[in-house]
Amino acid sequence: MDQAHQRAIAVIAHIDHGKSTLSDRLLQLTGTVSDRDMREQFLDRMDLERERGITIKAAAVRMAYRAADGDTYQINLIDTPGHVDFNYEVSRSLAACDGVLLLVDAAQGIEAQTLTNLYLALDAGLEIIPVLNKIDLPAAQPDKYADEIASLLGCARDDIHRISAKTGEGVPALLEVIVEKIPPPSGNVNAPLRALVFDSVYDAYRGVIAYVRVVDGALSAREPIRFMATAFEGEADEIGIMAPEARPVKRLETGEVGYVIAGVKEVGLAKVGDTVTHAGREGASEALHGYREPKPMVFAGIYPINGDDFPLLRDALDKLKLNDAALVYEPESSGALGFGFRCGFLGLLHMEIVRERLEREFDLELIATAPSVGYELEMTDGVKKLIRNPTDMPDRSKINDISEPYVSVMIVTPSEYVGTIMGLCQERRGELKEMHYLSPERVELRYHVPLGEIIFDFFDQLKSRTKGYASLDYEPVGMFSSELVRVDVLLNGQPVDAFSTIVHRDKSYDYGKKMTDRLRKLIPRQMFDVPIQAAIGSRIIARETVRAKRKDVTAKCYGGDITRKRKLIEKQKEGKKRMKQIGTVEVPQTAFIEALKIDTDVKEPG
Amino acid sequence: MTVAVAAAGRTGTWMPEPGFGVYVHIPFCKHRCHYCDFNTYEGLDSLHDAYVDAVIDDIRRAEGDMPEATSVFFGGGTPTLLPPPALGRILDAIRTRVGVASDAEITVEANPETVAESSFTGLLEAGFNRISIGIQSLVPRVLAALGRTHSPEVALNAIVAARRAGFPDISGDLIFGSPWETPDDWRTSLEGVVDAAPDHISAYALTVEEGTPLATLVATGRVPHIDPDVQAERYASACSLLSAAGYERYEISNWARPGRASRHNVLYWSGGDYLGFGAGAHGHLSGRRSWRIRLPRDYIAAVRAGCDTVAGAETVGAEARACETLLCGLRLTSGVDVGSFERRHPGYLAGRWSVAEELAAAGMVEVSGGRLRLSERGVLLGDDIIARLA
Repeated sequence: MDQAHQRAIAVIAHIDHGKSTLSDRLLQLTGTVSDRDMREQFLDRMDLERERGITIKAAAVRMAYRAADGDTYQINLIDTPGHVDFNYEVSRSLAACDGVLLLVDAAQGIEAQTLTNLYLALDAGLEIIPVLNKIDLPAAQPDKYADEIASLLGCARDDIHRISAKTGEGVPALLEVIVEKIPPPSGNVNAPLRALVFDSVYDAYRGVIAYVRVVDGALSAREPIRFMATAFEGEADEIGIMAPEARPVKRLETGEVGYVIAGVKEVGLAKVGDTVTHAGREGASEALHGYREPKPMVFAGIYPINGDDFPLLRDALDKLKLNDAALVYEPESSGALGFGFRCGFLGLLHMEIVRERLEREFDLELIATAPSVGYELEMTDGVKKLIRNPTDMPDRSKINDISEPYVSVMIVTPSEYVGTIMGLCQERRGELKEMHYLSPERVELRYHVPLGEIIFDFFDQLKSRTKGYASLDYEPVGMFSSELVRVDVLLNGQPVDAFSTIVHRDKSYDYGKKMTDRLRKLIPRQMFDVPIQAAIGSRIIARETVRAKRKDVTAKCYGGDITRKRKLIEKQKEGKKRMKQIGTVEVPQTAFIEALKIDTDVKEPG
Repeated sequence: MTVAVAAAGRTGTWMPEPGFGVYVHIPFCKHRCHYCDFNTYEGLDSLHDAYVDAVIDDIRRAEGDMPEATSVFFGGGTPTLLPPPALGRILDAIRTRVGVASDAEITVEANPETVAESSFTGLLEAGFNRISIGIQSLVPRVLAALGRTHSPEVALNAIVAARRAGFPDISGDLIFGSPWETPDDWRTSLEGVVDAAPDHISAYALTVEEGTPLATLVATGRVPHIDPDVQAERYASACSLLSAAGYERYEISNWARPGRASRHNVLYWSGGDYLGFGAGAHGHLSGRRSWRIRLPRDYIAAVRAGCDTVAGAETVGAEARACETLLCGLRLTSGVDVGSFERRHPGYLAGRWSVAEELAAAGMVEVSGGRLRLSERGVLLGDDIIARLA
């Protein structure tokens, strides 16, 4: 189809603001999906997404829309991931669009995540169509939130469209607005092929399916192609569009959105942001701008609870990697936890998703260490070092300087919580960068905070201190020097590697106290007193003691029933086998698991 | 032979050849205590006669050759709920079918409230020469909380009366560490019993057994948790007080004047052989453990029908037998004789010797005079130590 009749859009929205429902309504109104086939939230494919109510992987759907002017337009709806961890992927999805729908819940107003993505879209120079959704709700305050959006975008209140994706009210008019306001693509039909990969998914039967927007030139089936960043070359076995099921086509023209299958075995060879061109001399010489290697930000050790499952865990990670270019992992061993992997993730949600998939899809029982960030060390001899596991940190005397990653945190909150949030950010070593009143009642705060402070229950704290009203988003801003120390935890003088962590010097005491106190409650009493210490180097900063147990013996044996007594002892022996031995201390595996759940409380033993 | 064994048993020392025992179970009680998980029942008075007959028939029908018994033990329940002549008939059946050594220890358990002055003479006439009296406590409040119906006076009188009647061997049972008991309460009980001067004292830590009413009371918070540290304190005071009064601890929960250890008890802890008769009674014959039908009514019916009363049995494998020998033997103060143990279970201890040495280094066990035993510190951690060793 000619470029003048193409529109490519994405929807920017906060979780639960109705993105999926609006997508469904658009599919229905354009007849892309028949009413009969309509199931809720058509575009969210994986179970996991459905359960969490979020979208992890973008998908693109082509719709044919017959507009009021009598022409038929091709509208490509590109879905965007809705979470901070996938910020880069969002930016690539937006790069594949010509405009966005800014979808805001008329009962809640704009949230932090939406703001971040809106700024991304504005930076990319995209046309923004503001839409207030859920106007059918009794709690909707469309005028109030329209004003908020109007002041953000510098437009009039009346420029903001009001719809109910649920009832369909206002959606047909919105389709007209899309055709009217979103500019057609402006690619060069005659230039060498350049197609932007905005998503790639691994399929067990077909290999990698790369979702692309053809920016310049055109791509035909069976043509040899090249992924410019990875230099992977293959033949476009199949190209097609999603409408919404995959439908092979012969050719993708300039401006069109579709998919390419080219015998790629893992998504790491067809990464988001890469440029597809023709292989050989016809290929483009310059890739599209904006490609970036996925960069893990959060690290954690993942260990099988049953040590025999280590090879299974390796296989499972290898399989996940096929479909997750951002996942990195390398084997490591821990005195406390055995053999496992140090894994790198885009963020906490990414970590949770990977862990959940490992447990669910591969039936593994796992234990994860507390998440940490990556640190940059400058050694006294000038050598730079990157560490991802606190136990790798060398002696402080050999280190000149330590840097840690900072993020720019955006928080949108009702104004009455500003003080509370400032307190929280202060505790987390944050620095206020900007404060902006969206309206008299709502404030946008921007802080620079070390990522290491965010990954411990920051989000939970924010939610609980603002009764759930504040929303959060963040993006990396670089590495900055900090006064960081490694705190070790020792049981009976033996360091337990799984509990070592790197924290700011000012917080080391709190961490040490918290961890020793937790462990005191979790470690069963032994035959002797077990000192639990937290230490920085050789300096002890906190100490607790698990007092020796005094009595563990059966009082009597009834009527010569030795069998029962023996079975009790055998049970006790079995229990001992499941203990991990740290020096002379026996620690049940459950104690490690509980101790590492830093953000839940541990009860005093009964 | 049996004479030598019988005499050795009285020292409370672990023996490679501990003799031969017979246990008779009487599964009846007037009131069932809320902490009790023994096989015993209230309100089955109408079954008493039939039960005695059934036990006698069961004894008569026992098959195979067996040595003379060096110890006989009538336990319960409350054996003294039955009239002494009835118990005597059962004992006679044992003499006839099994044989009882002339110097055998023949014990009957008694609850103070069930034995009148005259009963002791009757029990002696029936052939018993040792009586074990369930004192439990000498503090009314503690007795009431334990659900015992006798008074301290009745309990102490029972000891006095038993002696007056001429019982050569008297034992008193105590329970400590219940949540209702203060340190003074426990001292009162210990001192009172010591004053009554029995030959043997058992002191058991109150244990919350699964499935008992007490377990439910604790689980629902109506009775406080039992604190093992408190029990350890009570145990320590028992040790010092009883030792000062001339009682030697020969097993974790048992003290006796020199030469007055319970032979039957020592037989259990030495891995000896014994027959068990009556509902739910356990027996052990060279590595085969068996137990009889549990419910009194079913037991009686089985005997009447001429059926086997054995409800289940297990043949204990070599490894498990060694484990039993060790776990039982270490409960005795004298511990196990390493040489005899190794002859009986070749290689078992040798393979665990490094663990034994570690435990010895930690002060939990001692090896001396060719014997392995729990140290004074190790006694109260016996289960943990045995689980490491066995």
